Amino acid sequence: MTRKFGLLSFITGCVSLAALVVIYAPLLTVWVFSFWKPIRVEGSLRLADFSWDSYQKLTENSEILETLRLTLTVGAISTVLAIVLSLVFSLFYWRTRGIARKAMQAIILLPFLLPPIIVGLSLLISFNEIYVRRGVLTIIIGHTVLVIPVVYKIVLNRLESINESYIQASFDLGASKFQTLVYVVIPQLGLAVTSGALLSFAISFDETLVTVFLSGSSSTLPIRLWSMMRLGFVPEINALASSIVCVAALATLLFWLVKKRVEARPRV
Amino acid sequence: MRNSKRTDKWALWAVSTLCLGIPAVFILVPILAFVLNSLWHNDAGQLVKRLTLENYVAFFTDEDMRKVYFRTVFLCLSATVTNLVVGYICALYIYRQKVGSRLVLILIFTLPLFTSYIIKMYAIRGILGHRGVINELLIAAHVIQEPITAFIFSQSAIFLTLVVLYLPFSVLPIYLAMERIPENLRLASDDLGGKESHELKHIIFPLSLNGVVVAAVFTFVMTFGDFVTPQMVGGIDGYTFGRIVYSQFGVALNWPLGSALAVILLATSVVVALLSSLLLKLGVSR
Repeated sequence: MTRKFGLLSFITGCVSLAALVVIYAPLLTVWVFSFWKPIRVEGSLRLADFSWDSYQKLTENSEILETLRLTLTVGAISTVLAIVLSLVFSLFYWRTRGIARKAMQAIILLPFLLPPIIVGLSLLISFNEIYVRRGVLTIIIGHTVLVIPVVYKIVLNRLESINESYIQASFDLGASKFQTLVYVVIPQLGLAVTSGALLSFAISFDETLVTVFLSGSSSTLPIRLWSMMRLGFVPEINALASSIVCVAALATLLFWLVKKRVEARPRV
Repeated sequence: MRNSKRTDKWALWAVSTLCLGIPAVFILVPILAFVLNSLWHNDAGQLVKRLTLENYVAFFTDEDMRKVYFRTVFLCLSATVTNLVVGYICALYIYRQKVGSRLVLILIFTLPLFTSYIIKMYAIRGILGHRGVINELLIAAHVIQEPITAFIFSQSAIFLTLVVLYLPFSVLPIYLAMERIPENLRLASDDLGGKESHELKHIIFPLSLNGVVVAAVFTFVMTFGDFVTPQMVGGIDGYTFGRIVYSQFGVALNWPLGSALAVILLATSVVVALLSSLLLKLGVSR
């Protein structure tokens, strides 16, 4: 519906531009401040000359780097757990009938629908009840519970779009259920699993509202940053934040290009 | 043959147990434990497992708490409505572009979602703050002499931050709903000489309402349960209901009261979700 220039185009265009400026302003200031440190000259705000200083400091800050490593580990483990469990759950939903599958789906979608604070404190109370100390394990469990609905939904969507006749053909040619699963179904899930994995890793990496209830002495990056910010300004944070933004943007772009490639290929 | 049928049956039984058991243990049981926790008695920081409704009574009799509750509901509703209006206009803008540019635009709008929430908030604090970018710019432009405090550590600061943080969550579902509108409906309207305002009123708006409802519920539930944003930019004046709940698990250390307040928070979210879908039904049937 491309239209000639009109009042509606003008208004929607202006509002969209303003909205983009507002949602990108925080990211932009972080990026600018990471290279041009804000300084005060006679009480007013000035920018220092360009330097890689804050990045240099970031590579020397072992506390942040250690936390970053833990965050990546937690993200990787919960993503793998979520993929394995989501595959089992979605296959179960796809291949069975009856109320068992409906009940299962209702439960696993809950953490996505509930406010994060509810998920966080439910797990906190339960872990406390069975004397599990808060730590990396509880964070991993929390993140896994939180990202399963996302991966599950993506994988199930793909499963339900598989043409039933491929499955029939596989059985007609004498394949067992297991062979059909491994040679016919699983190979079609590549893109769905990859999207699910990327999304769940991104969610885990940034998770704050649930993690804050589950982290003891060892915490992930958002929680550590939160406590650091309460103490005041740390120039390394700007460098770290802009690096994360760059990596996220690159990953999104790369995934998008790969996805276009794969989708352009004829489907089996 | 019969044997394999039997193993099949056993396998199905085992898989069903697994697929129901794991979610039940890690999701359902914790939620029940949390609701149960709201019914325990708290004796000066010590948990006593005796069933009582006193934690709920505490909420309904404490005027200060009710005041914070209603103020938070109002705050989150305003943020939600603002985001719906702005989000709708942005979605409409994207939808009116060529198919190829739509994808790029929606990507640009949603990319901020993949960048750290806490860092964005930190940056927003830097922009709105007492000696932040906005104040400095206003001073440099000689609009004001002294930095003004209107932007930070107040309810309006929380409102602004929530709007900025959660806007992409409104654009995305509304745009997705528009994208699902069948092309032929619009073509038919074109062929019959329908004006664009007509098309907007009779096709696009009614058929994108479900996206609006999804966006509304999502934004309200997320903002109402958020306790980090109010603490970061709200300061002492920025007390919200979510912060009160969270503080019961931190400094105040009254888990049963915290759980009861969280049940109320959850109930509010559910009521808002039900009301929104009811409104949608009414809107569609009209």
